[in-house]
Amino acid sequence: MELRYLFKKTQTDNVEPESKAASESPQTPQGLFQKCDSCGETIFAEELRQELFVCPTCGNYFRMFASTRIGNIIDRGTFEEWDNDIPEKNPLQTPGYEAKIRRLQDKTELDEAIVTGRGLINGHPSCIGVMDCRFMMASMGSIVGEKITRMFERATEEGLPVIIFTASGGARMQEGIVSLMQMAKTSAAIKRHSDKGLLYITVLTDPTTGGVTASFAMLGDIILAEPGALIGFAGPRVIEQTIGQKLPEGFQRSEFLLEHGFVDAIVARKEMKDYLGNILKLHENSGEFVFDGADTKEQKKRKNTLTAWDKVMISRGKDRPVAEDYIVKLFPDFVEFHGDRYVKDDQAIMGGIATFAGRSVTVIAESKGHDTKQNVERNFGMPSPDGYRKALRLMKQAEKFGRPVICFIDTPGAYCGLEAEERGQGEAIAKNLYELSSLKVPVLSVIISEAGSGGALALGVSDKVLMLENAIYAILSPEGYASILWKDSKRAPEAASEMKLTAEDMLSLGIVEKVIAEPDDLSAANLSEVTEVLASELASFISGNLDFNGDALCEERYKRYRKYGV
Amino acid sequence: MFKKVLIANRGEIAVRIIRACREMGIETVAVCSEPDRNALHSMLADHTICIGPAQSSESYLNIGRIISATITSGADAIHPGFGFLSEDSKFAKICERCNIAFIGPTSDMIAASGNKAQAKKTMMDAGVPTIPGSAVAVNTVAEGLELADIATYPVMIKASLGGGGKGMRVARNREVFEQAFLTAQSEAKNAFGDDMMYIEHYVEHPKHIEVQILADKYGNVVHLGERDCSIQRNHQKLIEETPCASLSDELREKICDAAVRAAKAVNYENAGTVEFLLEPSGKFYFMEMNTRIQVEHPITEWVTGIDLIKEQIRIAAGEPLSFTQDDIRITGHSIEVRINAEDPEHKFRPCPGKIEMAYLPGGKGVRVDSAVYSGLEIPPYYDSMLAKLSVWAKDREECIKKARTALGEVIITGVTTNVDYQYGILSNPDFIEGKTDIDFIEKHSHK
Repeated sequence: MELRYLFKKTQTDNVEPESKAASESPQTPQGLFQKCDSCGETIFAEELRQELFVCPTCGNYFRMFASTRIGNIIDRGTFEEWDNDIPEKNPLQTPGYEAKIRRLQDKTELDEAIVTGRGLINGHPSCIGVMDCRFMMASMGSIVGEKITRMFERATEEGLPVIIFTASGGARMQEGIVSLMQMAKTSAAIKRHSDKGLLYITVLTDPTTGGVTASFAMLGDIILAEPGALIGFAGPRVIEQTIGQKLPEGFQRSEFLLEHGFVDAIVARKEMKDYLGNILKLHENSGEFVFDGADTKEQKKRKNTLTAWDKVMISRGKDRPVAEDYIVKLFPDFVEFHGDRYVKDDQAIMGGIATFAGRSVTVIAESKGHDTKQNVERNFGMPSPDGYRKALRLMKQAEKFGRPVICFIDTPGAYCGLEAEERGQGEAIAKNLYELSSLKVPVLSVIISEAGSGGALALGVSDKVLMLENAIYAILSPEGYASILWKDSKRAPEAASEMKLTAEDMLSLGIVEKVIAEPDDLSAANLSEVTEVLASELASFISGNLDFNGDALCEERYKRYRKYGV
Repeated sequence: MFKKVLIANRGEIAVRIIRACREMGIETVAVCSEPDRNALHSMLADHTICIGPAQSSESYLNIGRIISATITSGADAIHPGFGFLSEDSKFAKICERCNIAFIGPTSDMIAASGNKAQAKKTMMDAGVPTIPGSAVAVNTVAEGLELADIATYPVMIKASLGGGGKGMRVARNREVFEQAFLTAQSEAKNAFGDDMMYIEHYVEHPKHIEVQILADKYGNVVHLGERDCSIQRNHQKLIEETPCASLSDELREKICDAAVRAAKAVNYENAGTVEFLLEPSGKFYFMEMNTRIQVEHPITEWVTGIDLIKEQIRIAAGEPLSFTQDDIRITGHSIEVRINAEDPEHKFRPCPGKIEMAYLPGGKGVRVDSAVYSGLEIPPYYDSMLAKLSVWAKDREECIKKARTALGEVIITGVTTNVDYQYGILSNPDFIEGKTDIDFIEKHSHK
């Protein structure tokens, strides 16, 4: 027999318990716990609030009330709500629609599925719209469209940026075709706002689908997403029913969109306020130009006895710093943006915004890795068309906001592969040369190691090109040259010298404006010797272009490239 | 008084609490994980609820499941024991919200004690001695020297982001400070990327002395004397005794007074333990306050005759203390030996498995708190402690002999235990002479 039946149990005195009031007996008060839909864990509601409604066990993001979101993002006491008294309409006379709206208004204390207004984020003014799923799945009825449109019109008038936290099931069935028209109406208002050079950021939260995705959600200059949010045009159930297939894990989630080039960054909820505040700050660009680095532009000339082939090998060296190392040193506040908005995020190109000496700049780099793993992720610094399209997107963004563009060139060449051709590698490079030639902001390119052919030039049509002493720039690799001309790729060292690909050669051919001296064995350890000089060069480039004239820049750039050759 | 108490724990402490409740006529509800269905506490309680799989986070640490077991079973109080959720202020707070009496201090007190920096400041303000040292981190030698003078030598220099012994150096005097500071700082910079350093007095070869406190909800605070827990391996206590062999009555009074002051400073209630480091010089420093029952509470029960678990329950039920400080008499000497399923020959690795046979001693002045029985499977998921042997005798010499005699009778087969290792400590001449400090095990481990 089991022990449990052998032990004698507690003898109670059998007195009836004093009857406690129901409110005093043990019970879980309403709302003390919340259940996580993802892991099923019971969570202490107070803790969930502290964690900004992110499950402390599995990291699942709960949907948020608009008011909580505003409290989380907007500086306390600075929010001013707009347009919360637009009278409801029932454009199609759908039965029961008005009653439903009123019930929801009572229950949620919202007037409609979006709250709009203005406020400060870490002291930076912005308009903000926050959708709330509790209100008919935050579908876009005419009031939602109207509030968004009015917000953009007012922001355009007052010269303010706009941030929208999207969450929506899409169009509102009860308003039919009138709801559909809200897509066009909001998009048109955003275009006018954008044409004034004003910033629009969208933050995609769970779920952002349908007509909202196909209008204002995807029109941000910068598109952010919360982790794990469902984002798509057609809902997953509809797609499954249509194609008769089960969708893969992670399909239409934020991470999927990032990988496919539609999201600039996934930002954790806890970091969202600071992230947005920083982006707003970078776009105010009101900072004074203050450069406190030394003027090290004038470098001592030393004798460089290395052969062209030596330099080829050095430029490909395993320990040679890559673009990311320069960015870390020169732009400590660099914020990376991802994606080409068409197909994918090509990690062979790294781009984003930062400040230099108090001024905002766009930084775009061909990005090799430090080790094999990184190199595989970054395709050894060989961009695909998607990479060039990402670069072009960021250049056009820089043009819109009037920031100089700084490019770092380090690539063996554009990626040579099946998919690259399918997606138009040639077209992508050509488009960059074409657009860069008339980009109405200053462009500076720095060749840090390898500049291989058209893949390098796609980031190198600039007002000024700098080149590191042991970097190379050529129409193709010395191996390729030897192989084509002499049918023997082993003669690459000979080819290297014949090809005239060193920095010195580039200077004498007028391809680059300046050669930056390198210490012996340039590595992460002595990179500062180079970045200090680069900082000084950057400072003079930016300060020389503080009041740039876009048309004049384009004219000069045209002349710069017009002169090559005959 | 409570009608039914749920014990949110396992092992011997759960058994200990069930016994106290049973004596008080309070029904008990045990909770257990799946592999603990046959554990002694599961068998002994009036009701048992299995709350989840082996992993603690799914069972003994799972607040939601424990609260729902409490409400479903109709218990009106939870005893958390030690370990697991016993010092989790969130758990205590949820109990408060659910009208479940948490047998321990309030959630606010637990949170306040858990915040080391805040606790240290509270103690300083209350005049409880704390380790002198910097409340702020510094990064220059000059600032460091200034702080070291205040902290008094020898000083410990440690990285503000430190851990694992990296970025730590002891400087014995002013002359070597700079060298030690710079070495520690450069280590810290390399290891943690931060060069901010804390400077505090280095307490050398101290004894670990702790004072048992009881406090009711009405501001009455008493101490139940001290315990010497200096015999430790990697901060794990092995043998505890009371009173401390080398404490003068005067110093004892000072330490115990400080402990009462510490408890009053935080308006403490229920059972608690104030831990101090005692230097050979007689200077002592507050370390932390444990807001729960301690493993080694039986030795205090031996010398005071007070049942600490019952007192905890009475206090939580709102009863005032039934005695004053003057009523408390410390009589004789008591030693506790922890018996663990671990292998001293192989770095004390835990040795779970099936207990083939367990014979545990008895007799005058011998007490065994255990949760083992012949045929029990010891699961690998939890603490390796099998039993606590505690003995009482009129003086220390007799007490050591009694502990050795009783320990010599402990027979547990099927799993490897530390019984012989502990027997060795009880026979160690330095131990017998009371020459112990927290470095005792390290000092004697080569033998």
